Amino acid sequence: MSFAVDIWSERKSMKVLIIDDSGVMRRIHANTLKEHGVDAGDLREAEDGTVALDIAERDDIDLFLVDWNMPKLDGLGLVKKLRAKPEYAETPIIMVTSEAAKYNVVEAVKAGVTNYIIKPVRGDNLWQKIGKYFE
Amino acid sequence: MKVKYINPFITATVNLFEEYMGLKLTGGKPYVLSDPQNLMEVSGIIGLAGETKGAVVLSFSRETAIKVVSTMEKTTYTALGGEVIDGVGELVNIIAGNAKKDLTEFRVEISLPGVVTGKAYQIHWPEGIPVVSIPFESEIGPLSVNVSLRDMA
Repeated sequence: MSFAVDIWSERKSMKVLIIDDSGVMRRIHANTLKEHGVDAGDLREAEDGTVALDIAERDDIDLFLVDWNMPKLDGLGLVKKLRAKPEYAETPIIMVTSEAAKYNVVEAVKAGVTNYIIKPVRGDNLWQKIGKYFE
Repeated sequence: MKVKYINPFITATVNLFEEYMGLKLTGGKPYVLSDPQNLMEVSGIIGLAGETKGAVVLSFSRETAIKVVSTMEKTTYTALGGEVIDGVGELVNIIAGNAKKDLTEFRVEISLPGVVTGKAYQIHWPEGIPVVSIPFESEIGPLSVNVSLRDMA
């Protein structure tokens, strides 16, 4: 008989797509999620908006973490395209970007982001804002 | 170039290094670079466009670049490989993007970052605008943030 308690047993399984053109930043976000009990198998990564759209077509994504400045299709364009798809009309899309000007935040909110987080963001602060989606 | 355009980049750099990475910075006095190509071995570059025009370059020695990106990712890199170059690009992206918050006189868009390395590279600074260098010392070596931004009329 085991008394071990899985502290993450209450964690909801969510497929998360991390979209950032920086591999360093994708790994930092992924490590934060894994440290908080998110299964590595639930994480997807994309280096730009077009790759993200391909993945979102194939997989049912439950949460998007989207950078703004990326080649090919930037984060703002990606958010608009995702929101135009009925299957992603309500899915949480969190923009995680260095773009700190007020007009950028306003533009992102108009495009349909659920939350806007300005980099640099410590892992604990990121989790504070997105952890609720896993409850 | 107006002094008030420099402060947002200083604030963004100090926030990134001290608050996020826990690396204490000591800032030196900003000065106009007499030779705008006189930078360190690894430089991350972002172009600024929109209602003004300019560029920001974050420059490190090779050793400092490796240590900074290692600190950022909480890992240990030992060479100037693709991951470190990627990380330097992300650092200058954060500085430029964060500085926009306090550059309230104009709307400015930032380019994707580029990173150059070596001892003989050329940066294509905007013509006719001085480059102000802000030197910093840190426990992992020196760095500089170099800004060139056209004044608003």
